[in-house]
Amino acid sequence: MKPVDNINEFFKNAAVNTNPRMDEAVLDKVLAAHERARNAKSTFGGPSTWRTIMKSPIIKLAAATVVVIACVIGLSLWRGTQSGIALADVVARVEQAKAWRNKGSYTGTEQLPSGELRRFETRYSGLTSREYGYKSHAQRPDPNGGWLPGRELYMSPQKKAFIWISPMEKRYTRLKWNDAEAQRQQKELIQWSDPGAYLKGIMACNYESLGRSTIDGVDVEGFRTTDPNCHLPLRAYVSKDPRVDVKVWVNVKTRLPVRYDSLTSGLNERGNPITHRFVEHDYEWDVPVTAADFEPPPVPEGYTIVDRPTVFDEKAAIEGLKQCIELFGSYITISGSERPALVALSALEKSETPATLRLKDEMKGLTEEEKLNRVRSAGKSVIQFILLYRGLVRDEKDPAYYGNTATPQDANKVLMRWKVSDNEYRVIYGDLHAETVSPERLAELEKPQ
Amino acid sequence: MKKDLSYDALGQIVEDRLLIWKFKLGNSDALRRIYEKYKNDLLKLAVALTNDVSTAEDAVQDVFVSFAQSAAKIRPAGNLKTYLATCVANRVRNTVRDRQRHEATGVEDADCVICEAERPEQWAILSEELELLGSAMAQIPYEQREVIGLYMQGGMTFRQIAKVRNASINTVQGRYRYGLNKLRSLLNSQVDK
Repeated sequence: MKPVDNINEFFKNAAVNTNPRMDEAVLDKVLAAHERARNAKSTFGGPSTWRTIMKSPIIKLAAATVVVIACVIGLSLWRGTQSGIALADVVARVEQAKAWRNKGSYTGTEQLPSGELRRFETRYSGLTSREYGYKSHAQRPDPNGGWLPGRELYMSPQKKAFIWISPMEKRYTRLKWNDAEAQRQQKELIQWSDPGAYLKGIMACNYESLGRSTIDGVDVEGFRTTDPNCHLPLRAYVSKDPRVDVKVWVNVKTRLPVRYDSLTSGLNERGNPITHRFVEHDYEWDVPVTAADFEPPPVPEGYTIVDRPTVFDEKAAIEGLKQCIELFGSYITISGSERPALVALSALEKSETPATLRLKDEMKGLTEEEKLNRVRSAGKSVIQFILLYRGLVRDEKDPAYYGNTATPQDANKVLMRWKVSDNEYRVIYGDLHAETVSPERLAELEKPQ
Repeated sequence: MKKDLSYDALGQIVEDRLLIWKFKLGNSDALRRIYEKYKNDLLKLAVALTNDVSTAEDAVQDVFVSFAQSAAKIRPAGNLKTYLATCVANRVRNTVRDRQRHEATGVEDADCVICEAERPEQWAILSEELELLGSAMAQIPYEQREVIGLYMQGGMTFRQIAKVRNASINTVQGRYRYGLNKLRSLLNSQVDK
């Protein structure tokens, strides 16, 4: 091929075609979504209709009548449903609550490559304070019946700390945040644990009233959406064919949520069926709290402490890269958005080093889930490295990683780089030494040889 | 580097306005035509931004589904191609961020979804040039990649890109220049092999 002088021309020639069968399938989905939207809302009204109305005095009068009727109907809708509840009012009340307790559960199914259906289930009780943070105690099903203690979470943007305690692995994991990260987590906390955020998700979609009913003796009114494009918790895991069924019930008297039930299903990134159900209930609103309620307990005896930095840690990144070489004999390739344990497992499957052969031998006969757990534990630093790199991407630090071309012998080839200030980049070379360089020097280093 | 409107381009704009007008009136054939007209361009843009066919397909499919449901929000006077290209770029950004957010909050360790299976049937079939382009684009920083993609494939002006990305026009042009130089070197080194 001749050298590329005209990128514009190259772009034009870089063509894409589509598989006709999939093309039809996607178009069907698009048309079905259009049909649903048409049925749900009468949003279609073109400019010509308006012009026609404005030209005829009789139609003008009729239109004015329609407007008056619409205003009356609209006013009654704005004021709420039969019980007078408007979701916007519920959101406003939730936002006024300073702290609340609730219980919840998370259940799901997924089909593994072997065809086996995996079920997972956890239930928890949580306490959220807009001022102090969040804590929750989870339980997992005991195979012999009943429930076993599960993970405890303590999240405190004020103290810039996130701690989780895993009784099963006897692990006490600590994440330390810097100021910017703590601020971001404060916002995230609201996003992921505030029923007001769930309600806003429903309000942004097409939803309907389910009318009045009773939950545990409390008069409630229900609302429901089945709009697949709703921004919901756990929706990000469903990549294709999303189907959602979300219901929320609101106390008619207090106008605060009583129960939230979200069912999401579809296909995951790899095309396997997946179902998630997330339920929250038994809300207690405006409970009194103090900072001490969110204080994490001391490290229990016999537990391992794991410190996981969320801000970029160069030393930890180099450790991860070293472990890539030890395990796989080369640097790992990080694909788009695949889960870190899967990236490591896929590298392991391709590698033939003595370390990976030993590991593969150990993993013979294990289930997919057990294999991933084994990889998580054997490739802890590699997984940490992937998370750190993606943190740089998320924080827009202009990172780049050349694991597919750089080798441990390359003392002058950039393996990874990220921006540290307007005029400086930090570079880790193939042989894992690091230095800070100017953007101009970086451009030199990254020039294809 | 001002983009001039050719007679053809004007014809496209007129056709698009007519399509949007019909679509807003609920006409499914107009939506079908919009899909046929822009699906390849959008897939190409998404592949250039992600270098991952599966993520690209998801982004374009999601954009069309959302578009199909948003007749009321579409402005009849807007540029349809620019609008759809911006939606794809936003969707790609959001997808990547959504997943990273879960990882950053430790969901990686949670009892979560584990999957390792064959991909479903592929929608987009890439030419050799597009594969080369995608892999070269993946090696330049995302900000530069996005400007190049939106300018070359999304048909947007630097001013439009600056507006949607909330950046100055100089920054956008700088990203374009740096990215293009790097892309040229990368592509030349690949086609020489």
